[in-house]
Amino acid sequence: MTLRLAWRNLWRNPRRSWLTAAAIAFSATLLIFSITLQLGSYDMMIDNSLRVFSGQLQVQHAGYQDKPRLRSDIPHATALAARIRKATGAAVAVRAQGFALASSRERSYGVMVVGVQPGFEGKVSTIPGTVREGRYLKSNDAPEAVIGQALARNLKLKLGDELTLLGSGRDGSVAANVVKVVGLFDSGTSELDRGFVEIPLGTFQETFGMGDAAHAIVLRGADLAQAEALAGKVRALLPAGEKLTVLNWPQLVPGLQQLIQADKFNGWFIYGALILVVTLSITNTFLMAVLERTREFGILLALGMTPMRIGRLVLLESLLLILVGLAIGIFVGGLLTAWFSYHGFSYPGMDEFAKQFNFPSQVYPQVSALAILLGPSGILLFTMVAALYPALRIRRLQPVEAMNAL
Amino acid sequence: MRLVRPLLFSLLLVLPALAAAETAVPSAASLVKQAIEHWRDVSSYSVFDMTIHRPDWHRTMRMRIWTQGLKNSLVRVISPPKDAGNATLMRNDEMWSFTPKINRVIKIPSSMMHQSWMGSDFSNNDVSRSDDIIDQYDHTLLKTEQVDGHTVYTVQSVPHEDAPVVWGREVLRIRDDFVVLEHDFYDQEGKLVKRMVSSDIREMGGKMIAAVERMGQVDKPGEWTEIRVIEAHYGIDVPPTTFTLSNLRNPRS
Repeated sequence: MTLRLAWRNLWRNPRRSWLTAAAIAFSATLLIFSITLQLGSYDMMIDNSLRVFSGQLQVQHAGYQDKPRLRSDIPHATALAARIRKATGAAVAVRAQGFALASSRERSYGVMVVGVQPGFEGKVSTIPGTVREGRYLKSNDAPEAVIGQALARNLKLKLGDELTLLGSGRDGSVAANVVKVVGLFDSGTSELDRGFVEIPLGTFQETFGMGDAAHAIVLRGADLAQAEALAGKVRALLPAGEKLTVLNWPQLVPGLQQLIQADKFNGWFIYGALILVVTLSITNTFLMAVLERTREFGILLALGMTPMRIGRLVLLESLLLILVGLAIGIFVGGLLTAWFSYHGFSYPGMDEFAKQFNFPSQVYPQVSALAILLGPSGILLFTMVAALYPALRIRRLQPVEAMNAL
Repeated sequence: MRLVRPLLFSLLLVLPALAAAETAVPSAASLVKQAIEHWRDVSSYSVFDMTIHRPDWHRTMRMRIWTQGLKNSLVRVISPPKDAGNATLMRNDEMWSFTPKINRVIKIPSSMMHQSWMGSDFSNNDVSRSDDIIDQYDHTLLKTEQVDGHTVYTVQSVPHEDAPVVWGREVLRIRDDFVVLEHDFYDQEGKLVKRMVSSDIREMGGKMIAAVERMGQVDKPGEWTEIRVIEAHYGIDVPPTTFTLSNLRNPRS
């Protein structure tokens, strides 16, 4: 009975109700769109930064991540990688990594030397695709290197020049080699462009005395969301007795998650403010609706209706109004999100940037129940708290006074 | 008293720094200076083994070293064959490395000076700028004690603000014959990071030296590098051409 009464009361003033519902709908749409887009941007941010070098998963010797030592290695890495590639269908590439002093004729810098499989590296890293001058590595044991453009500038090196690498080998002996610079890359990540030298895996293993061992097997599956399942499969393939471990992206790039946490906090603050503004304007409407009906409530009270019941009625009216607004908002917002999640959303200028650094050029909003319902739930919670105030006012009404009110 | 006075007098002549001191206790600065000079001498030639120890492996290299004054030294690896011929030249705080495998001389940039020298627990700075402690640090005498018939001085050395040093302070234990018994390296937060301990102190090349010096990371007891002197000669003639880039590349001796 109360429900029917509330519903009817709501449409006594259709224009006002529709306006209020529209305000709620609009803010819900806005929240849905920005939250799904924000979460989608995080997905893209994670994906892009993993795409550059680290991959979605890595197999490493336990402890290598914390303390990268040449000796913390994966024996028979290439064969193991081939098995993983065959069993999972993911993109898999082997890397060996070490520090060395890189010298040109004129200058020297400390660099990270990465031995890569030229044929597979491009599937797990964007670096091969950002070679601006020359070409990427081709053969697995040629004495050649690709280096960042910034490093080349610092070393005063040109394409075709010789680069000397000097470091310590796996057995502690002096590791040294002279390689020819065949390509210069510009990955867009300054640490890589300034401090990275990629050489073929075979050349690395020979120079640093690694035998057939390496330091990381890098994996990239079709979808980051499936990474955990992929990790499980890979774990099952690891040979028993070796101290090998599978690392996921928060372990590989711990800073990234913190960055996202910080940014999320920022986002919640803005959404909170938005919800608060909407709530305040809606409270005003609710309050007006109650105040102008003082006479009506007076009569109801005189007829013997309890203030509790009238309060419930008013609350129910608010709830219905909010639900109507939210339903419209979720529908429109959901449609908008669905459209963009299919076609992709692009910021101005993003295309060019993406092409330059070998990234995908579209953001896809995250379509998930959580992302879509988070904003509307916030609105519902806040506005219902706001609706309590007018409803509670009714308890203070005296029947006679109320009936005489203007 | 009669005996002490002439001794004191001669000490004053040798160590002008002592003039300010009222007692026979040498100043901290002169202790450090003398210890370094005792260690380096005017010139020297020695052969030593360097053992790098890690929990899962260790290896020993035999090397020769020529030094002159505090600034010039040349180190050449003799064995194992895989490393033989690798050499390091240190001259006036600069450092070059020669690798026969690629037949190249490479200058070690200052940014790499804190890195390990030949994979050991000694940094490039430890081997090439060991005399920095004389003129780039302020020294205070912390303690004087008697150990096995020797007076042992504990000196704290704090680098000047602008010194190119990573350490917050260093603490040396110097015996009265200027043999350094212990050398501790503390970081900027005052935490002990590396410690060098001398042992097997005996006469070699005509004076008392520590035949064994072990440098270790304090928080990793299984990681250390030990230098064991096989033979040593001090105050000998070293041709000045020893410390040149051309000699580094094409050894004449």
